[in-house]
Amino acid sequence: MNTAIETNCLTKRYGDVTAVDRLSLRVVQGEIYAFLGLNGAGKTTTIRLLLGMVRPTSGEARVLGTSIRVGNKKPWQSVGYLVETADAYPQLSVRENLEAMRRLRPGTEPKAVDRIIERLGLTEYADRRAGTLSHGNGQRLGLAKALLHNPTLLLLDEPALGLDPAGIVEIRNLLVELAQNQGATVFMSSHILGEVSRLANRIGIIHQGHLLQELDAAELERNRRRRVVLRAREGQAACAVLLSAGFAASIAPDGTIEVKDAAAIERPDELATRLVKAGHAPTMLDVEHEDLEHYFLRLVGSEGGDAR
Amino acid sequence: MNNVAQALWVEMLKARRSRMPWVTVLGFSLIPLVGGLFMIILKDPGLARRVGLISAKAQIMMAAADWPTYLGFLTMAVGAGGTIFFGLIVSWVFGREYSDRTVKDLLALPTSRSAIVLAKFALVVAWSAALTAMLYLVALCVGAAVGLPQVSRHVFVQSGVALAITACLTIPLVTPIAFFASAGHGYLPPIGAVLLAMGLAQVIALLGWADYFPWSIPGVYAQGGDLPIASYAIVFLTSVAGIAGTFLWWESADQTH
Repeated sequence: MNTAIETNCLTKRYGDVTAVDRLSLRVVQGEIYAFLGLNGAGKTTTIRLLLGMVRPTSGEARVLGTSIRVGNKKPWQSVGYLVETADAYPQLSVRENLEAMRRLRPGTEPKAVDRIIERLGLTEYADRRAGTLSHGNGQRLGLAKALLHNPTLLLLDEPALGLDPAGIVEIRNLLVELAQNQGATVFMSSHILGEVSRLANRIGIIHQGHLLQELDAAELERNRRRRVVLRAREGQAACAVLLSAGFAASIAPDGTIEVKDAAAIERPDELATRLVKAGHAPTMLDVEHEDLEHYFLRLVGSEGGDAR
Repeated sequence: MNNVAQALWVEMLKARRSRMPWVTVLGFSLIPLVGGLFMIILKDPGLARRVGLISAKAQIMMAAADWPTYLGFLTMAVGAGGTIFFGLIVSWVFGREYSDRTVKDLLALPTSRSAIVLAKFALVVAWSAALTAMLYLVALCVGAAVGLPQVSRHVFVQSGVALAITACLTIPLVTPIAFFASAGHGYLPPIGAVLLAMGLAQVIALLGWADYFPWSIPGVYAQGGDLPIASYAIVFLTSVAGIAGTFLWWESADQTH
């Protein structure tokens, strides 16, 4: 498979601060790669390094086969991007902002402007000045600028920032369509972890400039913690039944019983049977998977811990 | 460097949609209007007495109410104050990209950064030259309206050439201000640089070294002083340094805004 992005020990230091530390990653064409990290983890600096906006202290980045140098002209014809916040010229209309971007991307046909306005749901606002747009519509305009020329690689910093739930779903569908139908590669950073887990083929977790972990959807599924949660009318008594049966059950102040034993997770029906037989039938029973948010925080909070 | 024409189109669109062209037209129009007011005062001593201080000021600045004096005043105004107006234009053209946080959208495009910087400089030069031409045309209208005594065409040509040369000495001196707007990420550093340059120009002129300080040189020329060849070289080198610094900044510096 062709590589869209490849970094080799990419490092960026600002004085004593290491923003990105020996980052080595590879993103395959057609993949949606999500880059997760806390504020200041190095996500935006990585995107700026990939776009040739800042010079690496050491290491190398290759984008669409081109070694990135600050001020390079290649390979930007095929790259669309959104860095940090979606900003536009406030006195220009949505259409004029896009027309300006079209002219700076030679070869992009004039019809592309109307097409992307319609695709991003900006038709109603096409002739409105960008400075009067809501935050969500400003974000749509930022994405429209990135997508205007049908790029084969998208570098998106928090693409769902400021969008309402419907907008998030819309953008998710758009990115999936681009990747699946047009073979576009998407490299995105995000804080909306629920979205990432639905969208990304692979996830890279960065912390303090260092890539902690790279994993695909299947690995994430394997690594996430699972537990059985249940409720009964007499919670203390039900918990005692499970403890006496050898399960490591615990009860929370709200009366929810949690069981983390692998046997319970694999066979939750046995738990239910024991409780029914003991006269404490569960009123609720569920096998919960740790969500990406908790997984991420566990990983970041305990580097080298059991999530690795 | 490619796609400069399209980059220039984009720069002109941004300028057209802003209030800046009107602000600069209004500001520049005040110069011939104020000059015209002085002419009226000088022509009518009775009015001059009634307005007191303005009369005194007018008599200090201008000897007589005629075309050579009036057009000479305009040339001096551009020589002494042109850096402020042209500096504001260059501060806006470059600084707005940082204030509006749009600079990042210009950095990874098939249109090179150099093409974008060149388009910005071209716009600044065209804008400043157009303002100077407008100033001259407004002055002709104001002078005619005031009823200044008729003179030969030679006076208008000579004054026009002097104004054009003064503008040609002033406009190149704003290129270092573009560097301050880029490296300073906004409007304030370049405006500070303009004010500093103007302040230093006054001090250095008082010390008698005006021929050798870039931002004093247009003023010396406008006052009819004979400039040594070194003065022209200093203006040229200052301009080249400003252009080179701005290009290098856009092409090579870490862009974190």
